[in-house]
Amino acid sequence: MTLLDTDREEPAGTASRAGLPLTAAQSGMWYAQALDPLSPAQNTAECLEIDGPLDPAIFAAALRRVTAEADALRVRVVDTPEGPRQYVEPEVELPLTVLDFRGHEDGRERAEAWMRDDLATPCDLATGPLFRQALFRVGEDRWLWYQCIHHLVIDGFGYSLLARRTAEVYSALVRGAEPPARAFGTLAELVEQDTAYRTSEAFAADRKHWSEEFADRPDVPRLAGRGALPGRTFRRRTAHLPQVTSERLREVAGRLRATWPEVLMAAQALYTSRATAQSDVVLGVPMMGRVGSASLRIPGMVMNVLPLRLSVTPEDTFAELVRQVVLGVRQLRRHQRYRYEDIRRDLGLLGESRGLVGPLVNVMPFDYALDFAGTRARARNLSAGPVDDLTVNVYDRADGGGLRIDHDGNPALYEDADLAAHQDRFLHLLEGLADTDPQVPLRVHGIATAAERALVIEEFNRTGHEVPPTTLIGPIESRAARCPGATALVYGDTSLTYAELNARANRFARHLQSLGAGPGRLVAVAVPRSVDLIVSLLAVLKSGAAYLPLDPEYPQARLTYMLDDAAPVCAVTDRPGRLPADGDTPLVVLSELEPAVLDAELPTNPARPLTPADPAYVIYTSGSTGRPKGVVVSHGAIDNRLRWMQYAYGLRSDDRVLQKTPSSFDVSVWEFFWPLREGAALVVAEPGGHKDPVYLARLIDEQAVTTCHFVPSMLQVFLTGADVSGLCAGLRRVFCSGEALPRETAQAFGKALPRVALHNLYGPTEAAVDVSHHTCQVGDTGPVPIGRPVWNTRLYVLDAALEPCPPGVPGELFLAGRQLADGYLNRPELTAERFVDDPFAAPGERMYRTGDLARWTEQGEVEYLGRTDHQVKLRGQRIELGEIEAALAGRPGVTGACALVREDRPGDQQLVGYVTGEADPSDVRAALSRELPEHMVPAAVLVLDAFPLSPNGKLDRRELPVPVFTGAERAREAASPLEKTLVGLFAEVLSVERVGPDDAFFDLGGTSLLAVRLVTRIGEELGSELTIGSLFEAPTPARLAARLGSGRPAAGDALDCVLPLRPEGGRPPLFAFHPAGGIAWCYAGLAARLGPDQPVYGIQARGLTDDTPLPESLQEQAADYVRRIREVRPHGPYRLIGWSVGGILAHTVAVLLQEAGEEVQLLALLDAFPAEQWRERPAPEEGDALTAVLRMAGFERTDERDREDVLATLRRGGSPLAGLGDHTLNRIVDIVPNHARMMREHVHGTYDGDVLFFTAAAPRAEDWLTREAWQPHVRGGLENLDLDCTHPQLLQDRQLDAICEVLTERLRKLDI
Amino acid sequence: MALTLEQIRADVADALGEDPAEIPFDENLLDYGLDSVRIMALLEGWRRDHAVSADFADLAEQPAIEAWAPMLGVAVS
Repeated sequence: MTLLDTDREEPAGTASRAGLPLTAAQSGMWYAQALDPLSPAQNTAECLEIDGPLDPAIFAAALRRVTAEADALRVRVVDTPEGPRQYVEPEVELPLTVLDFRGHEDGRERAEAWMRDDLATPCDLATGPLFRQALFRVGEDRWLWYQCIHHLVIDGFGYSLLARRTAEVYSALVRGAEPPARAFGTLAELVEQDTAYRTSEAFAADRKHWSEEFADRPDVPRLAGRGALPGRTFRRRTAHLPQVTSERLREVAGRLRATWPEVLMAAQALYTSRATAQSDVVLGVPMMGRVGSASLRIPGMVMNVLPLRLSVTPEDTFAELVRQVVLGVRQLRRHQRYRYEDIRRDLGLLGESRGLVGPLVNVMPFDYALDFAGTRARARNLSAGPVDDLTVNVYDRADGGGLRIDHDGNPALYEDADLAAHQDRFLHLLEGLADTDPQVPLRVHGIATAAERALVIEEFNRTGHEVPPTTLIGPIESRAARCPGATALVYGDTSLTYAELNARANRFARHLQSLGAGPGRLVAVAVPRSVDLIVSLLAVLKSGAAYLPLDPEYPQARLTYMLDDAAPVCAVTDRPGRLPADGDTPLVVLSELEPAVLDAELPTNPARPLTPADPAYVIYTSGSTGRPKGVVVSHGAIDNRLRWMQYAYGLRSDDRVLQKTPSSFDVSVWEFFWPLREGAALVVAEPGGHKDPVYLARLIDEQAVTTCHFVPSMLQVFLTGADVSGLCAGLRRVFCSGEALPRETAQAFGKALPRVALHNLYGPTEAAVDVSHHTCQVGDTGPVPIGRPVWNTRLYVLDAALEPCPPGVPGELFLAGRQLADGYLNRPELTAERFVDDPFAAPGERMYRTGDLARWTEQGEVEYLGRTDHQVKLRGQRIELGEIEAALAGRPGVTGACALVREDRPGDQQLVGYVTGEADPSDVRAALSRELPEHMVPAAVLVLDAFPLSPNGKLDRRELPVPVFTGAERAREAASPLEKTLVGLFAEVLSVERVGPDDAFFDLGGTSLLAVRLVTRIGEELGSELTIGSLFEAPTPARLAARLGSGRPAAGDALDCVLPLRPEGGRPPLFAFHPAGGIAWCYAGLAARLGPDQPVYGIQARGLTDDTPLPESLQEQAADYVRRIREVRPHGPYRLIGWSVGGILAHTVAVLLQEAGEEVQLLALLDAFPAEQWRERPAPEEGDALTAVLRMAGFERTDERDREDVLATLRRGGSPLAGLGDHTLNRIVDIVPNHARMMREHVHGTYDGDVLFFTAAAPRAEDWLTREAWQPHVRGGLENLDLDCTHPQLLQDRQLDAICEVLTERLRKLDI
Repeated sequence: MALTLEQIRADVADALGEDPAEIPFDENLLDYGLDSVRIMALLEGWRRDHAVSADFADLAEQPAIEAWAPMLGVAVS
């Protein structure tokens, strides 16, 4: 039932016929809606429950009167050439629905369902009204009053004004009295206030304030670990904080001279800090923005969201944090009129789609004591507007029910269970804060609930297992006694039995004992991989001493340092000169050892008073202060590790284990000793062989290796080698560790070696090689976990206060249990810093702080997330950047130094050093290679004038330049100066290290946007007028040089209807039809990937360069394209592909060609959907076309109102598209909506054949689109490939790889 | 008991956790950290203890002690 608004009064201050501009606050809402006109996300709504008698007719009369009084409710917004304007209508028809559900048992549910449906219906801004009302009668004296209002015209405070005025008018009318005079101000006043502010000095001052405050553009704390665009809907979970807790929090607030909303903000800051492992937290605070202004009496959209930046540390007290909030909010309030969108734009965050704030804390303490002629009413919010990430809405309705807390989440980021977990923990934290003295440090608070705490500390760590008190060497000796004749070791042509190996090691051990080796002592071993290396290591252990492996490849300086630091009783080397002779360490040189000396020793196991508590080995790792540190690992620790490994993977006597890891890297420990403890054979690779995947594959094959280890990056290389599956027939299991194992590598492994198990292990040297394990399964997705703890080992993921993180929450990984190292050799302070008291175990137990960021999965596995510091892993080797930096800074002439690992090309990691000062970079690098192991020497050293600094003076690592490597390895030299210049320009634009004169632009990763840049650069450098088309025709420096040199005019403009992306090649060409913008450059990557023999032509819209009238229909357009295609290829077979609108065109062209009797071999549709899917949806207006143009150029639309603004943005942003010229850009703005219209009017014919379809499978706003809608228009089948991306991402490199894999295969079959 | 200017200032200072001497009579208290929740709390207290009848919007529209005085029944000399 809709009632007519009859008894209106003419409101004062009505806007003129010209309408009013939007306020800045409204503009934000308008653009958000314009981006997605069908989205209901901007609908806000609330429901008032009125428990008592109500007269619906009087209520309707009251609503009519309030509607007549409130400008906001009578507004509609129209896009005009001057930008959007709002018109306040003198009268509107009251959109009121009255429904009586008294007769229904489920009346309430029906009402709720009605409200939900209504809330999901978008408002039409141009026609209005921008609100809807409903009144439900769900019981004799029970009423629900529903209001839904577009956010453009209302905010939370505005609702309270409307509700109170409605109650006031209703109450008066019931009494038969004239309601008190209208108290609302007008919309015109709001606009006037806004205009005055935006031209005031305060505006400029506020802008300056915010720009300075956030100049360093802090990282946004995201509870989901990532961001997403706001969706059309949101998820909500509602809870009520018990009245007693609410009261106690109010008391805390009162004692701290704060308000309870400020206390809740502080609590949320604490929660966010702990849940995101960040101490710098930026919350979003919605401000009502009305105090001190006439807008207090104007229902409208005034509120603003402002960033509240807080520092949360475990040392601070809650009282201090609350005070920080109080002062922060006070500061914020002084600049509260400056818009959130403007701050983001000023900081340059819009273009990067970066956020400014984490969770929003939206506290609505508005007075809702409503009285409808004596009947009380309770208000309940149904929607508070779009949710970017997570919004915590807190309502105090002063009804004695405690605080209501709604957690609203963006569905792209949060499942219901996620929201529930965050909310439960937040409430748990509030309880804790209410019950705790606010003057104690925040470290006493944790965010995990009791159940979560028990889960992550106890349940996930139930690893207790009895192990005998043995050593690393004992089980090897007993095994040798049990299988003396079995093969223990194979190296090249040499093979030793257990008895032979044991005897040799025993003799040498006795000799070492004679030199002082024994339990608690150290013996260094600097022997390349060989039989002698194994014998030496065993001998040291047998003597009772711990071994100190020294990589003979290490520079002398480092070896000297380690020998001086560790002071071993002696050092074993294979030959003279291996170790610095000037040190104090006695050397045992194997090549000079008289055989008689060893022969004199007994071949039986030597006696030694060795216990599991004695050290087994000392391995040096990189040290952040510039000094490497020795990690001391006990026999008990490594024995536990090897016993667990045998239990988990069951090595048998017929197993053969590859030993290829350098002895200075602790993975080698299990390679050396695990097989010898179990009666298996050790296959030793040649020195240096571990770097050669071809050699390794051959060795694995020839020696029938069953078990081996790879660092993931090496595994990746290994798997790409030829015939891995053929050469590794005997492999049973492969272990990975040393760095994060990419899922792609695990999947490639599963494909190449389907019958071989792949185990991912994790652990630092400080915890006896590995402490966690995960077995990869085919079909698993997402990051590969580092898994569950091994025997007698506990993993803790802890927050900054060393409180446990619940599953899913990132924190620092701590390790505890039997495998912990004793500590760092001679470094008690460092040991005490990294090995700390374990608060979850018996007193005296320690835990090791790894510096790794990690999180638990719900299933009790740990996922590795990165580092908390500057330690990096490069090809599995652990490097402290601080050590590299110290070495750089130590060179003469260097005044400042910095090092980092870059990955400028995917998968290609490089260590790069940066220095300031007078030093010569090649000298610096050469010096470092004399000091540091090979893996720690930077691939490049760059000299800078100064380090790039962020606005707050910190080193801005992101701004450090990419190293440029010169000199093509295989390419020929440039033949002429012109070629040479072009080669340089190619390299510059592509950011590629090496370009040869015959390398093609698009094969080197060139995109259409880069093409424009290259052409521009060539114009600047050579003064030559080139078109993009000439780059497509002559894509290499050599061919371009020839073309430029010949003075031949540049042919084939890049905007012509037929764009030869690759004109050469013998196969039938592929025609690729432009998407909505009319340009087909997006298919350049297709041409590059389909190979040199497959011609590709882009088909582009007419009129990009001239004023040719745009086509009336797709049919007309397609017929034109058929003529153009026939000019290239008069007769079939034809191959067609199209993305988006281009897909519809391809289908239409295919139908026309078939009707003409031609053969169409291939019709490939890239996420294109037929006309009837679009027909019912309104076509976009120019606003959307402008958005589309901006998106093509990589910009998100902000406040660009018209074409001029858009062109200005493109020019300002240096966009290559701006180089297109205003005419073309203007035409694109016409072409986009013309396509949208034609697409909706199009009637499809039927294509006789199969369709190859590619779906952009990421969730999309247009969730009604389905490829099945093609069925009526296709007589054959529809083969689909889902790609994990959005529609606009479909032609990006990664997706193109997948698309072209399928296409190549398909085209190849067609060619046969 | 009737409100006085000094009492208003003392109450405002208390709500802000500041020294009363820091709170001016004639300046916009928004800049000193006064917000809607504090105004409501102050108003509640004054209604209870001093039978004040002003409403929230009256106070919030002009957040300065001098402007409040007449609404809160305090004579300004």
